[in-house]
Formats: sequence, C-alpha cells, structure tokens
Amino acid sequence: MTFNSLEFFLFMPVVYLAYYFSPDRFRWMLLLAASFIFYAALKVPYLLGVLLLVATATYAFGLWLDRAPTPQAKYRLLWAGVVTNILILGVLKYIPFHAFVAIGVSFYVFQAISYLIDVHDEIEKPEPHFGYFLLYLAFFPKLLQGPIERAGHLIPQLKVLRPGDLQAFRSGMWMIVGGLFKKVVIAERLALLVDPVYSNVQDYAGISLLLATYVYAFQIYYDFSGYTDIALGTARLFGVDLTENFHSPYSATSVADFWRRWHISFSRWILDYIFKPLQMRWRDWQSWGTASALVVTFLACGLWHGSSWGFLIWGGLHGIYMASSVFYNPYQKRLDGVLGLKGSPYLRLWRILVTFNLVCLAWIFFRASNLKDAVFVATHLFGGIGDMSRLIDLWGFREPFVALISMGLLALLSFLSKRQHLAEAFFDRPFWARCLVYYGVIMYLLVLGSFSSRAFVYVRF
Amino acid sequence: MDVKEQLNLIFREVFDDDAIAITPQMTANDVEGWDSLSHITLIVAIEIKFKIEFNRKELRGFKNVGDLLNAISAKIKT
Repeated sequence: MTFNSLEFFLFMPVVYLAYYFSPDRFRWMLLLAASFIFYAALKVPYLLGVLLLVATATYAFGLWLDRAPTPQAKYRLLWAGVVTNILILGVLKYIPFHAFVAIGVSFYVFQAISYLIDVHDEIEKPEPHFGYFLLYLAFFPKLLQGPIERAGHLIPQLKVLRPGDLQAFRSGMWMIVGGLFKKVVIAERLALLVDPVYSNVQDYAGISLLLATYVYAFQIYYDFSGYTDIALGTARLFGVDLTENFHSPYSATSVADFWRRWHISFSRWILDYIFKPLQMRWRDWQSWGTASALVVTFLACGLWHGSSWGFLIWGGLHGIYMASSVFYNPYQKRLDGVLGLKGSPYLRLWRILVTFNLVCLAWIFFRASNLKDAVFVATHLFGGIGDMSRLIDLWGFREPFVALISMGLLALLSFLSKRQHLAEAFFDRPFWARCLVYYGVIMYLLVLGSFSSRAFVYVRF
Repeated sequence: MDVKEQLNLIFREVFDDDAIAITPQMTANDVEGWDSLSHITLIVAIEIKFKIEFNRKELRGFKNVGDLLNAISAKIKT
C-alpha cells in the first residue's frame, strides 16, 4: 500500500490504536504483522517470500560469520552473504523484460548488506533474535522507499517499543501532513507540467525543455522528500526515530555537498560500503585512486536505480563531477584566495547556481524515457526561446501559480515551525482555534491535492 | 617529538592550516577540509610517516583523533 492511498489512512489509525493499547512485549509482533499486511497489500505475493528469504539468509550469515574461527573464514562468509543478497536483487530487478516487480527489495537488500559488513567489521554484534531482525528489514514506514537504516540505529529502538509522547505525536502528525502536502499538492502538480513535455521531447525546444527540466528537479525533490517526511512522521508516532534523508539539497555549494544533502541514507551507504573500500584499495594511486573510486561508486549508484543507459549516464555524470573536483579543488582554493573571494556571499550564490545546473543536467538522463530523448533534450536546451506557445497552452497559468504559492506557503510554514516559541504558542491556543488551522490545511490538501494515486517516483527503485 | 606532536604536524600539512592543534576528542567536524575525500590523504601521510599500515576494518573503528592516536601508538610498538 502506498502512503498517498486511502487504504493507508484507514490502516494507520487502526495499527496505531492497537499498538497504543498493546502490552509492551507484544508491540514488535504487532508492527511485524502490520508490516507484512502493508507489503501484502501490493498484491505481489512472492515479494513476501523475497523479504523472508533475504531476512533468513542474512540473519544466518550474520550469526555464522560471527562464530567463524579465523578472519579468513569470516571474510569468506561475509562475501557469501553479500553475494546471496546481490543475487536475489539481481534476479528480481535486473533480468530483462521486467519479469518481476521488485518494490522495496533494493532498499532492504542494501540494509541487509550493511548489516553483514557491520557485523564483520565488529561495528555491530549479530542480532540473536530473528523477530527483531526481521522487523529491522520489514518495518513498514521505511519498507518501500527507505530511509536505508543501519542495524545499530534501528534494532535497539525496536527492542524498547513505546508510542511517542504527545509532543512526538504532534510533530509526527505535522510531518505526515507536510509530506502529503509535498506529494499531492506540489509534486503531483509539477508532474503534470513535466510529463507531457518529457513524453514528447521532439515537440519542444530551447527554454521549454530547460523549464521542464528545472521543474522536474523540484518535482523529484518534493516527491521523494514528501515520501520521507510521511515515513519519518509515521515512525515517530510509534516512538521510532528514522534517519533524515534530505537537508535542503538545492542549496548545496558543490556536487559533493549535494550528496551530503540528497538521499542521505543512500549516499552514506555508498560512501561507507563502496567508495571508502575502493579508495582504500587504490590509495597508492593518490588522487587518481580517489577519482577512480568516485567514478566506479557513482556508476554503481546509477545501476542501483535500474539497468538502463539513462541511470548509468546519470551516475557517470555525478562520478565525473566529483572526480574532477578532486583535481581542481586545491587550485580553486588558491584562486579564491588570490581573487579575494573567500567568504564572499556572491561566490556562494554562484556556486549554488552552478551546482544546481550540474545536478539538473544529470536529471535529464534520469528522467528521459530513453537515451535518444535524453540526448535530444541535452542538445536542444540552448536552442533559443523557441516556440513557447505550445508550453503556455499546455501549462496554462493557474497550475504553475498554485504550485509556486504552495511551495512558498510550505517554506513559510517550515520556517515558522522551526521557531520554538511560535510552535509552543500555537499549541497553547484553545483546541477549537487549532482545529480551524487543521481544517484549513486539510481543505487545502483536499481541494488542491491530486489524489490520482500516481506512484511515488522512488518506489520503482 | 612524541606521537601526538608528529601527528599534529601531519594534520597541519595535509589540511594546509598552521593553526590546527589536535586533541583526542577532535573529530572531522572540527577541522575544515577534513571530509571523506581528504581522509585518505591524511591516512596515507600517517602510514608513510610512521611506516605502518591500516586496514579497512581498523579505519572504520576510528571515531576521533584519540582513536587514531591509540592505533598509531599500538602499531609502532609492535
């Protein structure tokens, strides 16, 4: 079931109430059962089997490698466990013709791999209790699209499950509403602007393609961060704290900075488990070793999203951006010093603009239906103003206007809610006054939201 | 010169800042330019200076400069 479906908003209160009134020792079982119902609602029965298989294999390898007598035996068992996981993912996701649906699999397989490596590196002890381990992979708020949690962060919380307090309940509910707002009011509306252009790119040129690409950058951000807010908010109601995934990614001042702010749980994963080991292995090549490690890491990052040229080129571009920065960063630092630009706000603004455009160039390959379309867009971006009447006919003025107003409103609300005293003042108002605000927000969602139940973008990965 | 002083010199050289004064509690957040890309430069510089070698597992265990210092001291003794 997806977070923007009616089913979910019937399912969640029922699970929450049952959880709230359940004795402490049954809570993990309740969440586990809820997670399986949640996954089963996708109506793809074999996925439940895949989840159980990944969990059982990883659980067993974790215990075996911990008990192995020699470092060599540990290392072999680690590889056996990792390869098993990759094979399962490979069969489901990468065999041609889309024979299988793999929703959620790439997310929990990544968590399983991080668990095995952490146990091998003695960062974590293996989990002896299969129930908690299964819930670590299956916990429904993060099952379909992450965040990709580390065992050390999530498992200890699953052992002392308790509903969040009143403050957690309030902030969790606000996160859910805010995430829903991002998805159904903003991202869905932006998708209506992007989809027609990207499904017929040859009909457009110049500014129209550029605008559609910029709008896509915001669509995917609001879509994915909206999903994440609902996931984090839901988990918070159950008293569980999940990892933050986004931190104003488009205010990044470099591509490296972008990856510290975008899909953070994923970028930390590729950093720890792909990039660092490669960089370590190739350290004798110095800068070239780091650069090569970056390119390989980001190619793998592209492939994780799917086996298409578009994703591979998207990853490759990020790899090249990062690799080239390894070489020019030292000069950049000196140049800024010579030009007296250090700490200048204009330099910062310039960097944000350049980074955003580099990221958008890569998004073209991520979004386009095929390589031919992507190349068409990338080579026709600067084809002048072109004939914009088509775009104006398509977009009209109302939808972009509502999207912009909603984005502004959301930015304002999130700014205000960060001011502690304002948030407290709000909750000090009488109940009826707060209800007026809740009513306003819900009406805004219902009237301007699009509940076409279009899937979240990242559910495909 | 003790291990800590030698390590401090390496830090100053790698991160190009003569004001760095390392403490055991110090982490990457406290040093400008110490990120995952430059980390390996620091590690290689340490390995060359002290004629030691770290493996991947050891590197993951370092939480702050104190851990790094202890690991270096342990390795040069053996």
